Amino acid sequence: MSDLLRTLENEVQIGALAFMAVVYTVRLVWIFRFRVRRDRTFPAGREAAGAGYSLMNIAMPGAMESTRKRPGFYTQFVVFHLGVAAAIAGTLIIPYAPGLFESRPAVLAFQAIVAAALFMGLLRLVRRLTNPVLRSVSSPDDYFSLILLLLWFAAAVLALPNRPEEGEGPLILYFGLTAFFLVYVPFSKICHYLYYPFTRYYLGRSLGHRGAFPPAKDERARARRSGESRA
Amino acid sequence: MKRRKTGPSGVVAAPLDAHTQVLAKETGLPSVKDGRLRTYEPGDNVARFLDLLGKRISRPLAVSMTACVHCGLCAESCHYFLARPDDPTMTPVWKADQIRKIFKRHIDWTGRIAPWWVKAGSLHDDEDLNRLKNIVFGSCSACRRCTYNCPMGVDTGLLVRFARGVLTELGIVPEGVFNVSRDQWETGNQMAVSEQDYLETLEWMRDEVGAELGDDTVEIPVDKPDCEILYTINPREIKFDPRSIAHAAKIFHLVGESWTMPKWGWDQTNFGLFSGDDKLGAFVARNVYEAAERLRAKRIVISECGHGYRSTRWEGYTWADYEQTRPTESVVITLKRYLEEGRIAVNPARNAEPVTFHDSCNIARSGDIVEEPREVLRRVCADFREMYPNRRENFCCTGGGGLLSMAEYRPLRLEVGKLKADQLRATGAKLVCTMCHNCVDGLSDIIKHYKLPLRVVQVLELVANALVVRGASGT
Repeated sequence: MSDLLRTLENEVQIGALAFMAVVYTVRLVWIFRFRVRRDRTFPAGREAAGAGYSLMNIAMPGAMESTRKRPGFYTQFVVFHLGVAAAIAGTLIIPYAPGLFESRPAVLAFQAIVAAALFMGLLRLVRRLTNPVLRSVSSPDDYFSLILLLLWFAAAVLALPNRPEEGEGPLILYFGLTAFFLVYVPFSKICHYLYYPFTRYYLGRSLGHRGAFPPAKDERARARRSGESRA
Repeated sequence: MKRRKTGPSGVVAAPLDAHTQVLAKETGLPSVKDGRLRTYEPGDNVARFLDLLGKRISRPLAVSMTACVHCGLCAESCHYFLARPDDPTMTPVWKADQIRKIFKRHIDWTGRIAPWWVKAGSLHDDEDLNRLKNIVFGSCSACRRCTYNCPMGVDTGLLVRFARGVLTELGIVPEGVFNVSRDQWETGNQMAVSEQDYLETLEWMRDEVGAELGDDTVEIPVDKPDCEILYTINPREIKFDPRSIAHAAKIFHLVGESWTMPKWGWDQTNFGLFSGDDKLGAFVARNVYEAAERLRAKRIVISECGHGYRSTRWEGYTWADYEQTRPTESVVITLKRYLEEGRIAVNPARNAEPVTFHDSCNIARSGDIVEEPREVLRRVCADFREMYPNRRENFCCTGGGGLLSMAEYRPLRLEVGKLKADQLRATGAKLVCTMCHNCVDGLSDIIKHYKLPLRVVQVLELVANALVVRGASGT
């Protein structure tokens, strides 16, 4: 392994991670500077239950009409983010637990997940380019972040077997892109995962207090029974 | 839904009409003179807007500004977009982005450093502010259907109300919004009902109920202390639909309820919810809470009104910084309790026509009442049927967000009402029941415009109609 690759896998990653942590800390301080008003009403439900339901919404495609009616979109979302998780895991496994990737089935499984995410990402890019609604709101960052992720997925698929002796190119690209990501993410739309817990928590807490979240057990079924296509 | 080609509406191009604001200034209205009601002043309104934006933003708002990933999933939850599927400016994400881009440009770091990269943008003059006014007042009823359908939990309804509030502070509002706010500031009720009109209408309804029941002991008490219930209403009931007061009075009389209406603080509606003006919201809500305190009522009961319920039961206490000390409930909950306790007897055969129920956005999505009206309707109607989708997934009547008071946006509102019309038509019902006066007017507009064979009713009317009066031959 070359010094360049070793440095990329270790010092550069750690430095980039540290940078990201600092920026995220600043970001969290910034968020907490905004005030929150206390609810002064008698509760009709439980805030904690509402917040919990809201945060778990990500795992409940049936909870929202928007994902319930579009199972394909939800599948894309799941596969895409599993790919992100697998590719991130790869950046830790290769330098710190390389033994895991000595198992060919393990490598193939990771590659399959990331390749599927790459495919879903391509579908997302096509959708963003062709859907007039998305085009009307998309920023250069929206396109750039997605394209960068696609490149990263492609690099991950090639690099995950971790065979520097057969050529370091894919690994250098993979770790180089990872380091760039770690620095870029806090300034891009990709850091939405930092905000997700906040938006969902505050929405869930408010609607939980009012008894709207979580909905009654069969409320959603009754709301849509035989009527999904009518409107 | 069949897709049809529509021309790009862009945004409704309604100019700022400030002539009633000028009149209010010239006549020296107290609310204008002391600065509670803001009027439009040409000048550096952009700087004032940005100043207020920075000062007023809360944490839930700030994260809703930053968290959107532009996935577009909200689009098909919005009745505006579903009715105009070829017009991206009708999507919640586009509307919210018009606010979000200002936040990014002036408050968020990426937008300040590289605005073009994240599509951040600023406002340049009052024309830009007027355009923003037309977006947030004219193309969104703040129904929060998109909020429920956003995977990230972005509360676009909250963003829209926030932007409305800042514009209201600058007087850059539709004329109707100014007029109703003015009336509520000046008279304590949004239809400028005088105390004399109010009291005479209550007396009139008392006499009507007495004559109907053949009972001269019927009362509509005013300012009676130490009652169980303080009953608050929508001024529309005094002006256009006093029968709803009579229905409530009849039921309260028959169950022997200890109740009163206040002489001041009787308006449970609150235009502050629509205009985004928390100060107005606090003033109106406090009137109700203080009336209950003054009369030592044990419970506040709110007549059938969607935004009134949301404002009085939920938002008002926070706006007014007023700790809730007594139960505050919708009259539909009171009716349900009477039915469950056997305090009123009903015969559903008296409501034989098929009835469907329209959930008010402010009650179902921003409140806690979904099943209760259904439980009441199943007891008092012979043929109750759901419309689909329903409950928290129901579509707005199109009159939400105060849109009924904004004539300039009426053509667009009626156009996007096609969705509601289709929903109503599919039920085959003859009556559509709703527990909201705003929805009564919104739905009536849709029914008239799309020539539907339906009539709008409210829960109180159906319950009153189904009442079996013991010892009487009639109702």
